[in-house]
Amino acid sequence: MTGGGQVPSLARAQRRARVRGLLLLGPALVTLGALTLYPTIWVCWLSLQRRMPIFGVNRFEGLGNYVFLATDPRFWKATEVTLLFTVTSVALELAGGVLAAVALRGLHAGSRIALSLLLLAWALPSVVTAKLFEWLYHPTAGLINFALGGIALNWLGDPRLALPGLILADVWRTLPFVAVLCYARLLAIPADIYEAAQLDGAGAVATFTRITLPLLGRILMIALLFRTLDALRSFDLMFVLTGGGPAGTTETLTVYAYRSLFQAVQLGLGSAVGVVVFALVMLVAWAYLRALRRQGLAA
Amino acid sequence: MGVLLVALLVVILPGCGRSRESDGPVVLVLKHAKILGPVDPIPRLLAEFEAEHPGVRVKAEVLPWSSDEQRQFLVINLEGGRPGFDVMMLDCIWVPEFAKAGWLLDLTPGVSRDELSAHFPSAVEAGTYRDRIWALPWFMNVGLLYYRADLLARHGFSPPATYAEMLEQIRVIRAAEGNARLAGYLWQGKQYEGLVVNVLEGLWADGTSLLDAEGHLFPDPGRAEQVLRFLRMLIDTGVSPAWVTAADEESTRRPFGNGDAIFLRSWPYAADLFERRESPVRGKVGLAPLPRHVAEWPAPGSTGGAHLAVTRQTRHPVEAMELAHFLTGPRAQRAMTASGATKPTRMALYRDPELVRNSPSLPRIHDLTLAGRSRPVTPYYVIISTTLQPELSAALVKVKSPARSVADARRRVEFFLRDLRE
Repeated sequence: MTGGGQVPSLARAQRRARVRGLLLLGPALVTLGALTLYPTIWVCWLSLQRRMPIFGVNRFEGLGNYVFLATDPRFWKATEVTLLFTVTSVALELAGGVLAAVALRGLHAGSRIALSLLLLAWALPSVVTAKLFEWLYHPTAGLINFALGGIALNWLGDPRLALPGLILADVWRTLPFVAVLCYARLLAIPADIYEAAQLDGAGAVATFTRITLPLLGRILMIALLFRTLDALRSFDLMFVLTGGGPAGTTETLTVYAYRSLFQAVQLGLGSAVGVVVFALVMLVAWAYLRALRRQGLAA
Repeated sequence: MGVLLVALLVVILPGCGRSRESDGPVVLVLKHAKILGPVDPIPRLLAEFEAEHPGVRVKAEVLPWSSDEQRQFLVINLEGGRPGFDVMMLDCIWVPEFAKAGWLLDLTPGVSRDELSAHFPSAVEAGTYRDRIWALPWFMNVGLLYYRADLLARHGFSPPATYAEMLEQIRVIRAAEGNARLAGYLWQGKQYEGLVVNVLEGLWADGTSLLDAEGHLFPDPGRAEQVLRFLRMLIDTGVSPAWVTAADEESTRRPFGNGDAIFLRSWPYAADLFERRESPVRGKVGLAPLPRHVAEWPAPGSTGGAHLAVTRQTRHPVEAMELAHFLTGPRAQRAMTASGATKPTRMALYRDPELVRNSPSLPRIHDLTLAGRSRPVTPYYVIISTTLQPELSAALVKVKSPARSVADARRRVEFFLRDLRE
């Protein structure tokens, strides 16, 4: 490209490099802007309107939708369900994932097969997982009730059992993600640390709490971040398995937003719920990233 | 080089996706849900249509599987203003809504009264809004009662005319059969559209309705509470298993099809499945109208099904209407019925000897459909239904009392519709 014989000055070269860099970045920036920034702003704008295109209603309403949500029992129920689902399922996934990773590392033979089996659950599309659990939970024909000794628990039709049932399905599906992350980190821990611990007379519990867990810390934070953000936005499992029922006990915020947006076609109200989810996700992401940075500085 | 690349992209990108108008064939895009059954009848029908209409090509594109996703796809694309399809399949409950939104082409000028009279009146009604025709009936559904004819006969019963009779038959048969797995009555109680249909049929059987003439929800709240109490009683007394509160069509069709239930409320699609060669209940299933609450009041089943509509933005309205006419016409509906997937909206086909030979329950289904009633034909139906679903479910699983859930449902619907009613 620099076909001329003259060597440009350093400053000019730098400037040219910067311009070229920006140009090369350009398409990516434009794409990012068009695909994330623009829709975000648009949804925020929509959430300030009472907009139901089917009925020709389209007017600015300010914070009207948010005022309605503040007193809407269905919205608060959905918020409660979302938070409960997130906290419980993420906690179980992290605990289970670490245990699975430690168990994997402890395996002498068959760790490859165990890993593949574990990944299978993660690789299944979530709608397939949902359909699978629909059968597992079937009150009379399902494997789970059969394994529990033939009692007819009404998993998905009982308001007390439906959410735990969904959490269990979610844990089954995403525990492998945490397990694989942790397993990779465990493989990188030099064996001599463990040997030293053994020489010092540390038991299995002490080894786990003093060595394994602290060394997993950073990767666990990342897993926690990913899983929390995913869980806050969870939609497919409840959508397929229970439709948010019974009695809205499994309706998350995203399911509520979906129902408002695409079924009732109340674009303003649905967008307002969407903005709440967005704010929640941003808040959590910000808190985690701050914690991560602190940890990074401390390390 | 980078600059060149960017410049090139800027020039090329906007050009993509813009199709060039030319003198080539007219291409129609048809959006429809997958038609289940052993053979998909659509490709052959479209080939026939193309053969009869030189210069017109039809591209059939399959909509997502579930009704919710189909609706989502259609709403997004139609609201966007450039749908990219010409003819679409609509669940009958969406027609007035889409018509009101201005997304559909008014088909009235191209449809004769004679043509409409061949269809079930309730199907025509579902495609009509403000006295205009917006969609042509394509296939049909009706809520009906399946019963185990062998069990009833063994105990000297005929199909129950009232719920009281049905409860008595269930009590006697279960006591005598001594089969712990045998459920009494299966219906759909999951939090979804099907639950609204089940409750609606209960309301009709109780002599009331979902909406009054002004479009207000539950004009007779006391009766609505009574219907919910009745459904709860079915579960409390073990007539229906507790899991019906999470049940949809398929999860109730399967146990009945395995011989594990005496009665089932469902749609006609199940009839042929029960008569398959490998079915345990083959030859043992009867079809009856839904039971009545009071012998003097009718208990119509809810009708449902799909229509074909033309998008207002289509560039080929004449050809698109031709296609809708062809696919809803006698020949196409006959082929679709023969493929075993759907039931026709054209009444004459239910007496077609060849069709009846393969599907002997057709004449019975005809009578039940004729006696059926369509869900409220209003653009607000989906808003009302999605608002009702969690409230009705709450009453069934006892999170709320029937009175509370009826009152809450009324309040919410009033709020959403406050300034919409015409």
